[in-house]
Amino acid sequence: MPLSRSPSPIPGGGWSSPGLNINSSGQSSPAAASFSGPNGGNVTWESARLKSQGVSGYPSFSTQNQGFFTRHMRRISRSLPTFQVSPDQYGEKEKLVRSKWNAPMLDRIRGIAARIGRKWKIRMLIAAIILFCYLLFWLTPLGYHYRRTTWLGGGQKFVIILAANVGGGVMEWKGAREWAIERDSVRNKRKYVSRWGYDLEIIDMSTKKRYAHEWRESWEKVDSIRNSFRKYPKAEWVWWLDLNTFVMEPSYSLQDHIFNNLEKHVYRDINEYNPLNISHPLKGNYLDEASQNVTGDGDPNSVNLILPQDCSGFNLGSFFVRRSDWTDRLLDIWWDPVAYEQKHMEWEHKEQDALEQLYTTQPWIRKHTAFLPQRKINSFPNGACSDNGMDPRIHYNQNDRDFVVNMAGCEWGRDCWGEMYNFRELSYYLNRNPWERFKEDLIAVIWFKLTGQKVKL
Amino acid sequence: MHFAYPPRKSSNPPPFLPRSSRISTLRRNRIKFAAIAGLSIIFLIWLFSGGKTKHSPQRIITGTPPVVIVTAFEEKTVGSEFIRNAKSNRREYAKMHGYKTHLVSAGDYDLNGSPLSWAKVPAMRHAMAKYPNARFFWYLDQNSLIMNPSLKVEDYVMSARKLESNMIKDLPVVPPDSIIKTFSHLKGDDVSFVLTQDKEGLSSGSFIIRNGDWAEFFLDTWFDPLYRSYNFQKAETHALEHIVQWHPTILSKLAIVPQRLINAYSKGQGDLYKEDDIVVRFPGCLFGSNPSECEEEAKKFLPRWQKAFGLS
Repeated sequence: MPLSRSPSPIPGGGWSSPGLNINSSGQSSPAAASFSGPNGGNVTWESARLKSQGVSGYPSFSTQNQGFFTRHMRRISRSLPTFQVSPDQYGEKEKLVRSKWNAPMLDRIRGIAARIGRKWKIRMLIAAIILFCYLLFWLTPLGYHYRRTTWLGGGQKFVIILAANVGGGVMEWKGAREWAIERDSVRNKRKYVSRWGYDLEIIDMSTKKRYAHEWRESWEKVDSIRNSFRKYPKAEWVWWLDLNTFVMEPSYSLQDHIFNNLEKHVYRDINEYNPLNISHPLKGNYLDEASQNVTGDGDPNSVNLILPQDCSGFNLGSFFVRRSDWTDRLLDIWWDPVAYEQKHMEWEHKEQDALEQLYTTQPWIRKHTAFLPQRKINSFPNGACSDNGMDPRIHYNQNDRDFVVNMAGCEWGRDCWGEMYNFRELSYYLNRNPWERFKEDLIAVIWFKLTGQKVKL
Repeated sequence: MHFAYPPRKSSNPPPFLPRSSRISTLRRNRIKFAAIAGLSIIFLIWLFSGGKTKHSPQRIITGTPPVVIVTAFEEKTVGSEFIRNAKSNRREYAKMHGYKTHLVSAGDYDLNGSPLSWAKVPAMRHAMAKYPNARFFWYLDQNSLIMNPSLKVEDYVMSARKLESNMIKDLPVVPPDSIIKTFSHLKGDDVSFVLTQDKEGLSSGSFIIRNGDWAEFFLDTWFDPLYRSYNFQKAETHALEHIVQWHPTILSKLAIVPQRLINAYSKGQGDLYKEDDIVVRFPGCLFGSNPSECEEEAKKFLPRWQKAFGLS
């Protein structure tokens, strides 16, 4: 048995021998009581000697093959380096010319490798690379970082602002349903964001009490957008989302869905869908050509604000703003005491009406605003905007797999939690993975036909 | 006792020694090739993904003409003689330095019933549409005359160095005690709006705007119908005081310069005209006072500016 150092005797008898702890597993040690060694009765050397002689207190069925070392000795020693004297050098036998690692496993692999043809080697290499990439990108955070990086996936360019805690605070009590809505909505956005590497900023809207004395509740949107731009310096677009929204298709990335082909998805001529009857374009003998053009300057890069319209005009439940000087100016000008003083009785939707007012009167706003068809980012459930029945421009349709649903106005007489729950379940149902589909759409159906029983698999 | 010498190194080395390292079994140039291929793939990814970063393109302003002088004339308040005089004064000055003029009638613009003095804002916007490549737009009220044609506005007022030395920092925007003050750290190149204060407040009779997106934003904001319908006592001047105090994106582009730089008064509530100032204004004409009085005042300056321009 190779030892790194020789066992040394210890006063009082016995040996301190670190390599020889072979009394560990499953053996009987009758001598333990009779000899008190340094190990508190577990006499290592003594028991080893007894064992090697085959003398045991209870000789009935204990075999030689007990304990870790004894069982695995051969395997361990086989994997150790051995010295091999090459046979052709018998003239200098005392000289060890070369030594090598000689594990039989390795040898075997080498043998297999030698027998495989080159073509197959290349194929296997490619397969290994694919497997490696899979492990690297899907099982490690590398894929996530890839999607975030601005010059690769570009996820860092997008920040989602979620207005949470609406109606919370001291004045209004939040019931279990409100908490559940908030929990589900936040979890939904979290999942979406972590999938695509975006950033999520959850805003506590209960701070709106701060603005109450300036009569500017609900303009805190402006401040939170500004703060988010400051907090995420790489963000290019901010996506504002109300609490009562649900991302139905988390597999859509914003880049694919909208921004890679911005000019194709947005429309700048409000006449395409104009529920407010805003006369467009502006006419004025003092205006420049781009301001009097229906599509502004027509350059998709000059779009700084993208919002959907519902049946009653602009909808700020889900909209995008881009980081730019233009946006700074808009956020600055959005709330103005003189405008508010004259209009606050008419402006039922506060900041939304103020924006409509700005859009209507100011050419510099029009030039940089674009609209998205509502169902692109803001589908309504059947309960909202339903005075004229269902409208394919407005209402959610599961066959078309709409991206986001916004349960706008559900707090006035509709069941917010019920809608949220239904849409959540629907989203899960629509986005089942192939295995779940196989189980539920095939096996369960067959089972039902055979036995007449519905099963949940 | 004699020990044998240690055995010498073998003189016939084993015929096929394995190579020292396994890595060199791969051909070196193949490794090189792989490295180059990898780097070029990364470069391509960078090229195609980085190339798509979208920035709204800043329109390039060539600076021809360097300055456009804008005046909106209210024909009803003053006589035609006075107006002809003022127009030729501006045209002569523009001709001297290669500027353009945009001299219009205030009635040209649809103001929805708000006072005619608002016309200066759409007039400026109109000039911007007409001369998109001009660098500066100088609004000069009708009740004023250019007295010193040798001074070029873009150097004398608007050059960054001059602006930095001339602008009044940390000054209450509306005298005497507005808590909103002009910026104390502002670079000359960042200034897009230059105006003056007289004893009563901001003076909107003579101001200079740098062409660009900001100018459009500023003029449109100023011209907001909600400001026009608000019945500010001094119409557009008080609206200007309002937006300057409430909106930092405007305040941060604004520089207030000493009044005589572009806005010397012939008399009244402000710094009075001295020899060699670029401009003289007749505030007596403002706010519907007697037009004949105004023309009397202007007549005193008529021979002086014509002499300065070498016309008489």
